[in-house]
Amino acid sequence: MNNTISLTLLHLAFCFTLVSFTPISALELHGTGANMVETTCQKTPFYNLCVSALKSDPRSSGADVAGLAQIGTDKLKAKATATLRQITALLKVAKDPELKMALRDCADYYNAIVKYDIPVAVEAVTKGDPKFGVEGATDAANEADACGRGFKNQPKFPIYASNKVVHDLSAVVASIVQLLL
Amino acid sequence: MVDTRPFLPVSSHAGSDPTGPSENRRKPMKLQLSIFFVLLTVGFFAALLTSNNGSDNGFVKENEHGSLASPSSEKQLRPVSRGPAVGVSEKSNRLFAKDNENQLAYPWNNSMLSWQRTAFHFQPEKNWMNDPNGPLFYKGWYHFFYQYNPHAAVWGDIVWGHAVSKDLIHWLHLPLAMVADQWYDKNGVWTGSATILPDGKVVMLYTGSTTENVQVQNLAYPADHSDPLLINWVKYSGNPVLVPPPGILDKDFRDPTTAWLTSEGKWRITIGSKINKTGIALVYDTKDFINYELLDGVLHAVPRTGMWECVDFFPVSKTEENGLDTSVNGPSVKHVVKASLDDDRHDYYSIGTYHEKNGTWIPDEPKIDVGIGLRYDYGIYYAAKTFYDQNKNRRVLWGWIGESDSEAADMQKGWASVQSIPRTILFDKKIGTHLLQWPVEEIESLRLKSYEFNQVKVQAGSVVPLDVGPATQLDIIAEFEIDKEALEKTTGSNVTFSCSSSGGTIERGALGPFGLLVLADDSLSEQTPVYFYIAKGSDGKLKTFFCNDQSRSSVASDVNKRIYGNLVPVLEGEKLSLRVLVDHSIVESFAQGGRTVITSRVYPTKAIYGAAKLFLFNNATEASVSASLRIWQMNSAFIRPYPNNKESQ
Repeated sequence: MNNTISLTLLHLAFCFTLVSFTPISALELHGTGANMVETTCQKTPFYNLCVSALKSDPRSSGADVAGLAQIGTDKLKAKATATLRQITALLKVAKDPELKMALRDCADYYNAIVKYDIPVAVEAVTKGDPKFGVEGATDAANEADACGRGFKNQPKFPIYASNKVVHDLSAVVASIVQLLL
Repeated sequence: MVDTRPFLPVSSHAGSDPTGPSENRRKPMKLQLSIFFVLLTVGFFAALLTSNNGSDNGFVKENEHGSLASPSSEKQLRPVSRGPAVGVSEKSNRLFAKDNENQLAYPWNNSMLSWQRTAFHFQPEKNWMNDPNGPLFYKGWYHFFYQYNPHAAVWGDIVWGHAVSKDLIHWLHLPLAMVADQWYDKNGVWTGSATILPDGKVVMLYTGSTTENVQVQNLAYPADHSDPLLINWVKYSGNPVLVPPPGILDKDFRDPTTAWLTSEGKWRITIGSKINKTGIALVYDTKDFINYELLDGVLHAVPRTGMWECVDFFPVSKTEENGLDTSVNGPSVKHVVKASLDDDRHDYYSIGTYHEKNGTWIPDEPKIDVGIGLRYDYGIYYAAKTFYDQNKNRRVLWGWIGESDSEAADMQKGWASVQSIPRTILFDKKIGTHLLQWPVEEIESLRLKSYEFNQVKVQAGSVVPLDVGPATQLDIIAEFEIDKEALEKTTGSNVTFSCSSSGGTIERGALGPFGLLVLADDSLSEQTPVYFYIAKGSDGKLKTFFCNDQSRSSVASDVNKRIYGNLVPVLEGEKLSLRVLVDHSIVESFAQGGRTVITSRVYPTKAIYGAAKLFLFNNATEASVSASLRIWQMNSAFIRPYPNNKESQ
């Protein structure tokens, strides 16, 4: 019985030593991929959008913050490109001159987002100079804002939903990249 | 996230015991083994539980950036579009202000956009520029290199641009000095500095972003040392010469400085980095710029300042009015440490003492340590770098001035960013804690017609036009005297003032604001005030602030509308003095001989070309001021490509 007790204590000591040397971060990485998404998204202004956008990409489980930033930017690029296509299609059939003007402005803003803001954000995150990424993503949010404002006096805002997603997702990406500073 | 699974009671989770419950009764050895595994499982879950609790505040894993020291609540749910957010760069703060919600992004036309291009500030012919790199004087020419994107008006695909000048003002563009053609700089030929060796040869150390996106330091040197234009550069075949040391992350290791000599005859450099959220400057010694030894400890570190980019380290004379070679040391010398803070996009400096033996530096005033005290410039100014100009025995400062308009406008106009006019740096002997910055004297060669105004009285609440002809390219030197009686009679108060949180020039105080309105149209619908504001404390002490108010600089809503500025020390008997360089969309303002400096970008829609005017103003309620000014029209510097005939001038 004494043998058992002392051996048990030895095991105990051994176990805790083992555990204390196990890199906790590895446990977090492999065991709690979903956790990383949630804790990161808590630091963004649009938690639910952030979580659904990131989790819809299988790469998000096991990604670090830089990886999540890249996933977010990819999603943003897809959404912005799709919205730009939507705008172009609407422009083809629009008759009302004021509506056309607002749509044309939005096309300009979305061109800036897709052609400049997002590539800058991607490059900044991958190469490790994140401040330019914050700038790019924030600018994208501004462009979406400007697009929305053009419709303030319009009876209808046909791209309201997608524009809002682009704006909010840009803000999310900006917050995530901010964490890399 | 809390793991809600209960702690496993030692006896019941026999299921995890690979030896099986029936075997426990059979052999003592098996008993030991089973207890071992049970305890291991318990320990595992205990660790998991505690690590989950810890991760709420620091989700970032150790192997990437270390846990974030600052509590996540500071940065949580911060909406992008509202007010100055903590740690977000200024450019991203210049968002559509609340009161402009009804206005759209401005429909910029070509006339407005092309006016924005500067006449005598360095900028490439098109596209994006950022940090100044490797400035030096060599064989009769001032050399300037810079971070450049050859493809677009936004940051990306960075390579080294190059230009030369005889006088730091008239620049001639040369071919790109270095491009991303090696694995060790494929993803970016980033910032670096030049060192001139005793035999006159030049070496360049710069940061490369490798194909794996690791930040490394590389050595390069001129292909032909007899070429005064230093057109071609060779990268050392054994690059990189430095990789991130243990404990430093792959993306936190950049911007090597000019080297200086130690008393042992070795060369020493410093490179900025961070550990968690503490900004640091690493120190390396080398004899050949190829092999380095990392010193124990750091040159200096300041907690909570984040990544230190573009670190600069240089001596200033306590007594002489000239610059010092970077290797100079001695009792009449102080050393400056400067860092560009990634977190807030500002350049900070601090004056202190260098301890050569162990490669450390201590600030004279820890309260104004690096990153928490004085800034080179309270406006848009970043990634600054000095060099010792052996031609004129002065230390010269370069600084990158980004845009504060929208990236869409930058796209439309096809370019983004300028450099400040190079400034000489001197220790401010009268104050002791500050540096003085002043535009290099060569800029005076651009002065054309001058206008003089003596003792112009500006009553409280009035505006006085100054007829100087076109007002978009000006050099203004002004002195202000405030009505002494008002200074004494005004009752002081405890209210604290700061430029950035004030209402700008519409907020009237007893003794301010007063100063100049630049880039203003006749109706003052657009105006950029550069001004003083004197605040009197309840103890009767006067504090002078120097500000630049962009809130009404343009009717366009997609430009920065903030108010920049800071306290400026004014000594007994000193008049309030001001120098302003107006050059289209850039305004550089120097108060008290360069003790406090503000650079801003201005994008008017109406106050452009012939419609831009200059005014004196005084919006104080009690004091009148009298101003004396000398104003010059400024010529263009005609910055252009180096002439093709290949003759050096």
